[in-house]
Amino acid sequence: MSVKVEVIEGGTPHNTILITGLLGTIVCLYLTYLNVLTNTEVFAFFGGLAAIIALIWGSHTIKVLCSYGIGTGVPSAGMIAFGSGVIAMLFATKFDILAPIVALVLAAVIGFILGYISNNILNMKIPAMVQALTEMAAVGALSLMGFAALITGGFTFEGLTTGTVSMLGMTISSNQISFIGGGLIAVAFLLGAIAIQHPFNATLGPGWRQDRMLMLTAECGFLSMIVAAVMSFALISAGSAMLSLIIAIAGWAYTYNQYIDLSKRDAAAWLDAKPIPEMEGH
Amino acid sequence: MSAVAAKPQAGGAMNPAAMAVGVVMLIILVGIGYAISPGLGLTALIGIIIGGVLIGFGTHFVPVGGAPAAMGQAPGIATGVAMLAAGAGLAGLFGGAWAAEQGLVVATVTGGVGGGLLMAITCMMVNFVYVFGMGIPSASGKVAKDPITGDTQAEFKSQGTEGHGLPFISFVGGVIGGFLGGAGVTLIYVQLLELYEASLPAMMGLPPAQVVPIAVAAAGMFAVGLFLVNAVLTAYNITGTIEGPHDPKFKRWPRAIVASAVASAMCGLVAILIVVPM
Repeated sequence: MSVKVEVIEGGTPHNTILITGLLGTIVCLYLTYLNVLTNTEVFAFFGGLAAIIALIWGSHTIKVLCSYGIGTGVPSAGMIAFGSGVIAMLFATKFDILAPIVALVLAAVIGFILGYISNNILNMKIPAMVQALTEMAAVGALSLMGFAALITGGFTFEGLTTGTVSMLGMTISSNQISFIGGGLIAVAFLLGAIAIQHPFNATLGPGWRQDRMLMLTAECGFLSMIVAAVMSFALISAGSAMLSLIIAIAGWAYTYNQYIDLSKRDAAAWLDAKPIPEMEGH
Repeated sequence: MSAVAAKPQAGGAMNPAAMAVGVVMLIILVGIGYAISPGLGLTALIGIIIGGVLIGFGTHFVPVGGAPAAMGQAPGIATGVAMLAAGAGLAGLFGGAWAAEQGLVVATVTGGVGGGLLMAITCMMVNFVYVFGMGIPSASGKVAKDPITGDTQAEFKSQGTEGHGLPFISFVGGVIGGFLGGAGVTLIYVQLLELYEASLPAMMGLPPAQVVPIAVAAAGMFAVGLFLVNAVLTAYNITGTIEGPHDPKFKRWPRAIVASAVASAMCGLVAILIVVPM
């Protein structure tokens, strides 16, 4: 039986974050389906929001798991989340409109078995392990699907593997210019993995505060969304990609300022130091 | 309780009941693989399981020091398993993927060389930093003599530490671990690539040449995902840090073999299902 290393209570209970995160992610993912219904691509930005909501949920799950001191470092939790999530997500894209639900269920099954393996076969015996790994796999799958929807405007296997390339005024269908075929999925994978593992790693310790960590997650999520929105210029119309980019930059600026405010609130003392003045002749 | 005293107490004990459940799960998963795709799919699944086991076993050799190593208080490379193994595995995958067209054996060995090379360079540079940057000699705290060179360790070890730097045995272990990890991930990649190149054209109704980018990217992503799952499970097995093959924790490898086999079988099955018509 492992001992809980950090006993920091307070803030929103984990179950509330879990349910809110789950519902928010699924709803946002389905809002991108408006693209298909209205035959546009302007709703792609909901994919980025889905990814950010999932990341916020996931970073709190990492907090629950890693407060037991698993000994492997916080980043490993983010890596296993996306490693198992990408497998479920790629398979789930085959199910068209049901894809988010299938991704959620399949990732949860994979995560549950991984949790069983870690806790029983590997003898970790950490109480939160099974639930945490189940959630993490779901978070990984859903946030990757969110990034996929942000970049391509949809989350079906068809949409993720085909793109169009304009050549001499003609539009040719191509598999090379696509989310999977072009390897954009690898970038999305790491954008998500970094955003999920960083916040708890950066804020852990005796001064940990829930709202500060979650704000940092949102900030990291928007930062990843900026990069993903830039990549989406290659696959969706410039107007829709610009809308995603503007939302991402605005969200990042807001959450960054909020995070700085929260950091100043939690710091023992702070002052606006000036950079070291450059002396002439030294 | 302080964070130092509250190290995970997973211990080295085996859990026979859970191991048996694991083996039964493995058999069931392979059985499902046989039922849905007896030919190509089953071959790929077995290749994936072998690759996963190679990754899980190989990660035990890598000298992972973690945060104590960064402060010169424990031997090993000063980072976590996830980072080190990901580096070795991805370097192996990049190496092996170039050779994928030259057959399974050449590709797997090339991948292994890629992973081993990355670990060799990492271990050497880490020792440079330790010796010339931090000014500490290499000494193991777990064994009295280096099993390969026979050098004694105790007189070089600072008091109050578990050893420091990267002794020769750890260096060798790192290279072996990188080789096994790189070979394992390349094996997974090549198996999945063959499966996808054979079955995607029919599934998507496209000429074979056009599905190559999708087959390559999907196989690569599945390989990376499987690699990270296996590496992190092994990290859980050794509870974060290990000195190399001479470390007592190394004896826990049977647990990791079962765990990696089950996890790879499950994830591999999903990867195969993607091309099975339903």
